Amino acid sequence: MHEMSLVQGLLNQLHDLAREHNKTKVISVCMDIGPLSGVVMDSFQFGFDILSQENPLTRGARLEIVSSPVIYRCSGCDAKIEEESKPQACPACSETLLYPEGGDDIILRQVQME
Amino acid sequence: MCDSCGCDLNHGHSHDHSHDHSHDAKVIEVHQSLLAANTAMAEKNRAHIEKMGAVAINMISSPGSGKTTLLEKTIEAIGDSLRIGVIEGDIETDRDAARIRAKGVPVIQLTTGGACHLDAALVHKGLHLLEKEPGGDQLDLLVIENVGNLVCPATFDLGEHHRIVLVSVPEGPDKPAKYPKAFISSQVFIISKTDLLPYFDFPVEEARAEALQLNPKLLVMDLSATSGQGFEQWLDYLKGICRK
Ligand SMILES: Nc1nc2c(ncn2[C@@H]2O[C@H](COP(=O)(O)OP(=O)(O)OP(=O)(O)O)[C@@H](O)[C@H]2O)c(=O)[nH]1
Ligand SMILES: [Mg+2]
Ligand SMILES: [Zn+2]
Ligand SMILES: [Zn+2]
Ligand SMILES: [Zn+2]
Repeated sequence: MHEMSLVQGLLNQLHDLAREHNKTKVISVCMDIGPLSGVVMDSFQFGFDILSQENPLTRGARLEIVSSPVIYRCSGCDAKIEEESKPQACPACSETLLYPEGGDDIILRQVQME
Repeated sequence: MCDSCGCDLNHGHSHDHSHDHSHDAKVIEVHQSLLAANTAMAEKNRAHIEKMGAVAINMISSPGSGKTTLLEKTIEAIGDSLRIGVIEGDIETDRDAARIRAKGVPVIQLTTGGACHLDAALVHKGLHLLEKEPGGDQLDLLVIENVGNLVCPATFDLGEHHRIVLVSVPEGPDKPAKYPKAFISSQVFIISKTDLLPYFDFPVEEARAEALQLNPKLLVMDLSATSGQGFEQWLDYLKGICRK
């Protein structure tokens, strides 16, 4: 994938935020990267480690990645199923057609700056 | 001004990260998608396309699954019943656009210069260029052929109304399982080059079932641009989404 260009987009956004809040140093960044986003977490972390070094604003900043679970919706009984990986069938009614809901976004949640 | 990046931040203290950060630290809740800018532009594109009176499809597949060939045959077969315009996406060259232009429909080639996918900003540029082509502002169906890549294009909404993912018979039936995002985000799954079924081990029904397992709403079709098998369903589908 293009994790590097996503990280570059994140760094641009951090610069805008720093300017807006009059801060000069990013201490930590929290990202929520959905399991269906197609982003490889290790590559994103690697890209951040490299690109954040290039700039005093982000040098030494910590990146925390969380991953909100996908919610699956049962096509039979409309139950919401929340599990690590896609379940084979609905625990309530055994239906196997389950629709994913969400889990595909790449969200900047929170930044700590000084 | 900062020497290393040219930004106009005033870096009051230059230091490495050894001191504690208790002074002035602030937590900012952002909750914004890194894809927000692309999504906003995609919404603009969709509105623009609707104002033109057209419906747009985004075709996604690995390199060589037969996207351009399917388009060529579709333009031939559909004749005057749909006015088709095309935006071609490739990393380099305008070869695909030249193939489409030879079929006599308005077409624009976008080259990404290395990027592995089209994004909404590029397509926005393409829309304006297409409108300047003869007939480019009088379309029923706008086809966007994405860069050949089954991974990255799935992340980027271009402003299309329907997304179509193709897998050709020689690629094998395991693609939905290996590249789920493209199948989860699409409305149609086309198994292409079915004329080659006698030469490859490609259980069509298994591939169909596996894709439906990922995305129960997928419409699955199989066809061959070479033999014409399955074309009727495909053309009916296109006329259906354009309500013609
Ligand atoms: N046997 C067979 N070959 C096909 C069929 N459709 C396309 N091909 C061949 O597959 C090759 C690639 O076809 P293209 O249409 O250029 O594929 P594409 O998906 O547009 O490729 P990129 O734009 O490079 O990603 C060509 O040699 C085509 O002749 C088909 O239905 N049957
Ligand atoms: Mg092509
Ligand atoms: Zn990519
Ligand atoms: Zn159920
Ligand atoms: Zn700077």
